[in-house]
Amino acid sequence: MRKPSLFTICLVIFIACWIFLRFIVGSVISVPIPNSVIVMYMALILIAILVHISVEDSRLSEFLRPIIETLVDENKRVRRIVLVVLIPLFVLGYTYTNIAQKASPPGDPRDAHPSPPLELTYKDEVLENTENPYRHLKKDDPEEFKSHVENGRKVYYDNCFYCHGDHLDGQGHFANALNPLPANFQDPGIIPNFQESFFFWRISKGGPGLPKEGTPWNSAMPIWEDHLEKDEIWDVILFLSEYTGYSYREVGH
Amino acid sequence: MRKSIYVLSFIIFSIFSVNIMVYAQDAPEVSEKGKEVYEESCAHCHGVEGRGDGSAAKNLLPQPRDFTGGIYKIRSTAGGELPTDKDLFDIISKGMPGSSMPEWESALSADERWEVVAYIKTFYEGFKENESPPIEISLEGKIPYSEESVEIGKFFYAQFACFECHGNVGRGDGTSAPTLQDEWGFKSWPANLAQSWNFRGGSSTEDIYKRFIGGIAGSAMPMFEDASFGLSVEEAQRYGQLENKVEMTDAEDEEFNSLDEKMGNAYDILDMMTEGLADEEQKQLHAEAMKVFQEKSWHIANYVKSLAPEKRPEPAIGKNALRSQYTVDTLPTIDDAAWETLEASYFPLVGQIVVEPRQFNPTIDSVNVKSFYNDTEVAFLFIWDDRTNNTEEMEDEDLGKTFEDAIAIQFPVKIPEDPTAPKPYFLWGGKKAVYLWQWKASAADTVTELTAKGITKAEVQEVQGDLQAEGKYTDGQYRLWIKRALKTDDKKDLQIEPGEFVPIAFSVWDGANGDVDTKRVISSWYSFVLEPVPSSKRFIYPPLVALLSLGILVGLRGFVQRRNT
Repeated sequence: MRKPSLFTICLVIFIACWIFLRFIVGSVISVPIPNSVIVMYMALILIAILVHISVEDSRLSEFLRPIIETLVDENKRVRRIVLVVLIPLFVLGYTYTNIAQKASPPGDPRDAHPSPPLELTYKDEVLENTENPYRHLKKDDPEEFKSHVENGRKVYYDNCFYCHGDHLDGQGHFANALNPLPANFQDPGIIPNFQESFFFWRISKGGPGLPKEGTPWNSAMPIWEDHLEKDEIWDVILFLSEYTGYSYREVGH
Repeated sequence: MRKSIYVLSFIIFSIFSVNIMVYAQDAPEVSEKGKEVYEESCAHCHGVEGRGDGSAAKNLLPQPRDFTGGIYKIRSTAGGELPTDKDLFDIISKGMPGSSMPEWESALSADERWEVVAYIKTFYEGFKENESPPIEISLEGKIPYSEESVEIGKFFYAQFACFECHGNVGRGDGTSAPTLQDEWGFKSWPANLAQSWNFRGGSSTEDIYKRFIGGIAGSAMPMFEDASFGLSVEEAQRYGQLENKVEMTDAEDEEFNSLDEKMGNAYDILDMMTEGLADEEQKQLHAEAMKVFQEKSWHIANYVKSLAPEKRPEPAIGKNALRSQYTVDTLPTIDDAAWETLEASYFPLVGQIVVEPRQFNPTIDSVNVKSFYNDTEVAFLFIWDDRTNNTEEMEDEDLGKTFEDAIAIQFPVKIPEDPTAPKPYFLWGGKKAVYLWQWKASAADTVTELTAKGITKAEVQEVQGDLQAEGKYTDGQYRLWIKRALKTDDKKDLQIEPGEFVPIAFSVWDGANGDVDTKRVISSWYSFVLEPVPSSKRFIYPPLVALLSLGILVGLRGFVQRRNT
């Protein structure tokens, strides 16, 4: 078998990298990568290829050989004609679809998580202790702890499950009208990343309590301190972690 | 006068309409595990003792099932029968669309779901006593979907009086709709057959057929009744035709009487069957009549299937955003056929549960919107289904206090300059104000402009009169047409430019469902844009760029050739 030319190898590597980033990563390895990031990666790969072929003169000329042959050799006539037709056609199609594209509405460029305020408050009262006052019961008085979790469950089903769902996955029967979707507590990136005080803040102040930075939040989360007692909020926070099996980030970590 | 008494004397007999099928007990023995899963996942709605009285139940409609009565809505079994284990397993797995019962497939393993089935059955003694398996509905003789079948189904939909509850075109707006209650005295609305995604037991033709034949136990949906029992499909249609004639010829009169007699005989035989007195020949005749009845039911199932889209439409997010189409002509009025050429944008709505009084059990699913604009004006058509037309606040015999139906369309007063700028709070604004168009059913041609800085802080604008409107209610659906100039002199109004994305949101009130003030259904912010006329650039630049690339190729070849020589 004839050894593939340097040009073919480079082309295959380039296309393989693109397929890997565009399709394999998104479906097999993790979540899809944004297009702009793919373009950046591909630019780096292109530079690497160019560096590789231009290190030695002989490599460069080997690389250019098939291109030059295609451009001028008499016996490459068919390939030349095909390319001369295909390349401008591709360019035509590509620019047309780009120009004729419908404008898409503004997306929601936002930070994943807002930064909490310096002081934890409930209505206007400043909470000196930002830890969950019932957390210690888990060790000290399991029975009492259980009754707080049960109360949290009740609070959750009376108020939260319409949007956050029976499975605590943000897929409640009211969720479909909301954009962005309600928080998914089953997501391993949510509960373990935050202290309980963060949850207390988000529940008590809701969407309107979000900071000026990182807007637009577009959160439909109500201001729950208008409806719930302080203890009810702490209890529902206990319920969230007991139900999902995730632990909150501990204070000082 | 000639109306047959038999048509009025509907008889329930679906028990006879099904074939006995062998059925396997699927659920495992009751175990501690089933109780555990039930108490962790089900009890907060259905109650620890299965009475449907969990802590969340008070705000839910339909109410969580009370398992102690053995009454199950969604069954594959005949009327009056208990469900099969598989029925219970399927409902737990798939949930009940349009209610607060979610699917449990994603949260519980199949084993856990079977354990729960076994445990739920312990709440009702009847499951233990019932030694013979429930009679399942046979799906034999299914009539495939076709235009002809839909037409025939439409006839029987009318003849069997489905419209009394489900309305003329199936939007659940029949005259008896407001009076219906379930077994436990809670309000129960007939299904809107145009919204198949809310059918509790699924929307396949088979699902619909089973709901007909077996009824929906505990709800107002009866077991199925054949209004032209004993008559074939053609005879039933002919009967309906003659029945509606003002004057009949002698021949027609004779024909009508003979059909009437045939129907009477069939009912007589049915009585004999029920009393166990029928002879072989009569049994044969009865079996034939039942077969035709099933045929009619399949046609109705096909008709119902034809009333709704296959899937719930995609919400108007991203590429589905509401796009107003440019036209050079004058803008269409409310009944103009031009609206039919546009695809509607679908905005799902949910209950407002942030501010008291709250709406936990909405009856309005969504609002659909279409829009056209020209050089000076923009016109919108807002379409939403509402089972009742309420034009005033009143005391309803069945529903209690009802209010006026209404809609409000919300925009920000000031369009955010860039995508990162915050919008006003989605519930009628907050620190940032929103601009509203409010329409009420009592004044069909009036839209009021409001400015609001919170859901309870709306003010009628001093300057009114920029808007033209016309609203209509037909067959369970509101259509509201609004037209406005793109630019107005009033600084508190929204000023609209083509190509600029404008946030839009909705509030809708169903007065029959107690909606008033903050109690209503709402959406969060969506986007609307006057779709710019496609630029003529698209015919100029691409060919130029293509030519350029051709030029580069030719030039490259020339360059290489020259260098080689």
